Amino acid sequence: MIQKIVLSLLLIGALSTTAVNAQNTFVSNGATVSFFSSTPLEDIEGISKNGLSALDLSTGAILFKVKNTSFQFKKKLMQEHFNENYMESDQFPFSEFKGKIENPDKLKSDGTYQCMVAGTLTVHGVTKNYTAPVKITVNKGSITAACTFKVKTADHGIEVPTIVIKNIAETLDIKVAAIYNAKTR
Amino acid sequence: MKNITFICTCFLLMIPFSVLFAQNDLEQLIQDDSTAREKVSATFKSTHLINAQSTETIHKKELEFRVDHRFGDIAGGTGGIGNFFGLDQSTDIRIGFDYGVSDKLNIGIARAKGATAATQLYEANFKYRFLEQTTDNAIPLSLAFFGSGTISGVKASDDPAASTSYKNFNDRITYVSQLVMARKFSPIFSFELIPTYVHRNYTIFGDQNGIFAVGAGGRLKISKRMAIVADYFLPFRDKTKKDYVENVNQQKFYDALGVGLEIETGGHVFHLNFTNATAIQESQFISETTSSWGKGQYRWGFSISRRFSFNKEKAGGY
Repeated sequence: MIQKIVLSLLLIGALSTTAVNAQNTFVSNGATVSFFSSTPLEDIEGISKNGLSALDLSTGAILFKVKNTSFQFKKKLMQEHFNENYMESDQFPFSEFKGKIENPDKLKSDGTYQCMVAGTLTVHGVTKNYTAPVKITVNKGSITAACTFKVKTADHGIEVPTIVIKNIAETLDIKVAAIYNAKTR
Repeated sequence: MKNITFICTCFLLMIPFSVLFAQNDLEQLIQDDSTAREKVSATFKSTHLINAQSTETIHKKELEFRVDHRFGDIAGGTGGIGNFFGLDQSTDIRIGFDYGVSDKLNIGIARAKGATAATQLYEANFKYRFLEQTTDNAIPLSLAFFGSGTISGVKASDDPAASTSYKNFNDRITYVSQLVMARKFSPIFSFELIPTYVHRNYTIFGDQNGIFAVGAGGRLKISKRMAIVADYFLPFRDKTKKDYVENVNQQKFYDALGVGLEIETGGHVFHLNFTNATAIQESQFISETTSSWGKGQYRWGFSISRRFSFNKEKAGGY
């Protein structure tokens, strides 16, 4: 008897988790990722509008992925150098963030929330832990998220040759913005 | 009881699987399904290898300022410590400006000293990159056409057999047409072939005006910012005319071969190269290279190029 109760409980538990999973998955296909480097000599900005992201509200798990070659610059030569010399996009085609939103439960109802997201960012093949505040707006089944954080090029093994050290900032401002829609399967 | 333990174990075993499954789920959701073909970038790092053109063009609204320099013979009869391994001499100097009309079309002007009898050169050129290799190999090659016309400003020679005994303005002009065919085989290796036609309106007595040649060049990356580059040109000359001119000049014709190191430092590309060709202009080094690697008649050369972008940006050069 006990066996049956345990078994059915486990089954119910397992089934309900999957069900919740399916309802709470959100996907963004055209997320904007940009970085900004500012020095007295030069401002460099790269923007990608092809970021991909998925969000699971039940667990707070969030995944962000952007193709390095999708970043656009004002000067084409910057884009070439970005991919060839700094990001080495041949070897490391994607930059990726895997993390968790803290207290995802409060996102169940409409409203604007300040949340913390913690996770690992992999850029240029180097993975590092980050924690950043995210502004999340939930409105009738769609979610908008915006986040700003800083990344040091040296933290990800990106070398800046001394000759251009005055043109490229040590710390870059990263901006991420995504609009999620519920994924129906 | 035994059964409960079994079921519980099973469940515990399943937890990591389901967690894994959930993560995979998220990853599956955002799989990059964009099979969008991308153009292969940076087949070469500069518009030139050493002597040869590459398929690269500068981008729209960019201006490239380029200085090429060839020193004197390092070794051989005129080389050695006497002229400090060629550094006391310069066989050719070329200063040029190229402008990107579009990402594919460049136009340029240049002034060169000229290394043959024809000196004081004024060149106008264009390069049109009409096909670009793609990452999915739908287009396996990059193709560019380079064309130039050069006018020699040297005083016409009184010797009627000389290559500079120009009778009218037209005689002073030479033309170069090149089809540059390149492929980036891997992130570190690119190779190109360059069928070339050089036409000189006026030559030394007995030489041919038009010469077909084929060039080959390659680039091998040895570090993130350094690469070894090499190029070679094989001209197809009329045997009897070649022998005749060689006999008159008391000088043999050789094929131009260059090897070099390409160092990229932010906004500009620095070339450190060695070649037997004394001239920088295509119309001269392909048709009139009379110096040989075998005799120590190779020289140090360098080129410095700097790009300026006028693409609605306040700051100057990058």
